[in-house]
Amino acid sequence: MNLVNAPHNTPLRIADLVGGEGVRRRLMALGFHKGDIVELDGQAIFRGPLLVRSCRSDTTIAIGRGVAQKVIVELVHERS
Amino acid sequence: MSAPRVPTVIFIGQPNSGKSTLFNSIAGHKAETSNFPGTSIKHTHSRVNIEGRLLDIVDLPGTYSLCTTDPAEQVVLTHLFAERPDLVVNVVDASTLSRGLELTLELVELGYPMVVALNMMDVAERKGIQVDAPAVEKLLGAPVTPTVAAHGRGVKELLERAFEVLNKGQSLRTLRWSGDIEEKVAEVERLLPPGFPVISNPRFTAVKLIETAGHACGDFLGEVEPGLKETVDRVRRAIEERRGAPAYEVISAERHHQAMKLFEETSRVLHGKRMTWDKKVDAVLMHPVLGYVILAAVFLAFFFIIFKVGSPLESLLLGPFNKLKEVLAARLGGGLLFFLAEGLIQGVGGGVAIVLPYFLPLLFLMSALEDLGYLARAGFLLDAFMHRIGLHGKSVSPFILGFGCNVPAIVSTRILESQRDRVLTSILIPFIPCSARTTIVLALVAFYLGPLWAMGFYAANILVVAVVGWVISRFMKEPSPGLILEIPSLKAPRLVSILRKTWLQVYSFVKFAWPLLIGGSLVLSLLSYFRADRWINDILAPLVVKGLGLPHELGVTLVFGFLRKELSLIMMLQALGVDYQNLLTAISREQIIVFTVFISFFIPCLSTFVILWKEIGKKWAFVSAGLSVGVALILSWTVRLVL
Repeated sequence: MNLVNAPHNTPLRIADLVGGEGVRRRLMALGFHKGDIVELDGQAIFRGPLLVRSCRSDTTIAIGRGVAQKVIVELVHERS
Repeated sequence: MSAPRVPTVIFIGQPNSGKSTLFNSIAGHKAETSNFPGTSIKHTHSRVNIEGRLLDIVDLPGTYSLCTTDPAEQVVLTHLFAERPDLVVNVVDASTLSRGLELTLELVELGYPMVVALNMMDVAERKGIQVDAPAVEKLLGAPVTPTVAAHGRGVKELLERAFEVLNKGQSLRTLRWSGDIEEKVAEVERLLPPGFPVISNPRFTAVKLIETAGHACGDFLGEVEPGLKETVDRVRRAIEERRGAPAYEVISAERHHQAMKLFEETSRVLHGKRMTWDKKVDAVLMHPVLGYVILAAVFLAFFFIIFKVGSPLESLLLGPFNKLKEVLAARLGGGLLFFLAEGLIQGVGGGVAIVLPYFLPLLFLMSALEDLGYLARAGFLLDAFMHRIGLHGKSVSPFILGFGCNVPAIVSTRILESQRDRVLTSILIPFIPCSARTTIVLALVAFYLGPLWAMGFYAANILVVAVVGWVISRFMKEPSPGLILEIPSLKAPRLVSILRKTWLQVYSFVKFAWPLLIGGSLVLSLLSYFRADRWINDILAPLVVKGLGLPHELGVTLVFGFLRKELSLIMMLQALGVDYQNLLTAISREQIIVFTVFISFFIPCLSTFVILWKEIGKKWAFVSAGLSVGVALILSWTVRLVL
């Protein structure tokens, strides 16, 4: 599952960052790494970008759908 | 040695960490703030005197890491690596501490003397994050001071700690990574040839060699010798094989985990889970429906406020200047002296009474939107639309800045990652009506035809941007890398900061534009006294009279419009020989629209042209100028035919 088809307002763990080096470097610089817990907070209309919040640092980024497809996530089951 | 050297202090932090606010509260009014065009609009040098000690302080643009491909952030690296500072002030947003610490750790690796400002402590507290600053200090080995820059809290303590470090020096101790990675770093470190341009210390240099794979900070490491390159490549492959991920990712993850660990050991998060006010506001601002309603309302309000403030102010201010002119006309007769005096009054009066009334509220509102953090939200909302013209949401903020002035807007396209996006955005920005053109539109179209006409003009203008963007993007097919944009937390804009920003811009406008306005006015007076303006008008007549159907006298104003757009407005009154209030006696409403359309588009102003040349190259600067002339001709002919 990637971020485009993941459920909203649910904790998700980043399982992998695929895609080009540029995108991965950018995501990591903004504090999004493999293993981090994130949540989808919203999306814009007309297939616009998604709002992704890192639960640890409480920072939010907007990412386009092309980028979101490259963020592979899984559901977090255990309670924090 | 002889004269004591003034130590250099560099302010560095991630974007939106409140770095510039802290910088300003230290630099304050004591500092001579000068903007360095072309490097970064936010890159400011100041020499300050703090309790008898001189310091050169430098505010750099925000950067997420010391390993970047983003051109705006590379300015930071140049400064940090090439001009070795005496002290680094690392500003960290305490409310997003665990991410901010990643840059801090990188700075510790760099090893320059450093103090950390744990900023926005109030926001962190509101979010339920309690940070134990002494604990962070102990783990980092660098002084850590909690601050709230917006209220000036903790600034004094920060400076005291900074002087302490400057006086006594400091030895930072780098936190170690996993053994296997450290081993590999040491291997590269050992094999650095003698005389290699080491940045700060061999370990940092080795880490950057492994991390960058020859780009970004690679430039600062000079030509890597073939032997060394081989070593670095081998080490990189070894790390990749062992960890199953590229070396840069492994190192970034090591730092990430260190930062998280540091955060966990020093901070407590009280899980109240209550929605804070900014989360609630954000949910509305970025709502799929309400968000767009608000966006539209913000823009409408923007122009109505500017017009409602500007036009009464304009009428009020124009009165005295017109009186003065009447008095002078009666006293001086029709000689050269009168022409010069008239030119002077026209120039000064134009700057004070026509341009400033619209300029001032526009700059004020722009600064407010910028400080609030609304530009990123607008980028989020408009991303889907930007895709239609081959761009994405990150270009929205340069576009919005373009409504203020095209020049900083073009500089700010450096935040875009790909060259293609930068070129495309930079070419479109000159089509955005900047404050000078807003002044013309409001003073001519809105004043004489009504505010609705002006709104229509704006709508048409945005449509032009969209169409031109769509057409150009057909020719620039490379894919755009997609949107990755931080949405910073909302900040209640502070009046002091907005006023300071507005003042700085007004000041540079007055300093730069008024001499031009007054000089231009005087030159035009002289030209018309010696009847030399006729030649210029005659040369331009085929375009002005035949093409656009405008009065013959307006030809000369186009020449001035290239210098600054608002000059055309002032020159127009002078060329036609009428007062602002009596404009309709010399020119019809339709002609006003044609003139405004043509002036708005016909060429980027001189400063815009220069900055285009500088930022994206000569070729594109000329393409942009050519496009503008083409679009201006087509549009004004169309308008002429339709009306």
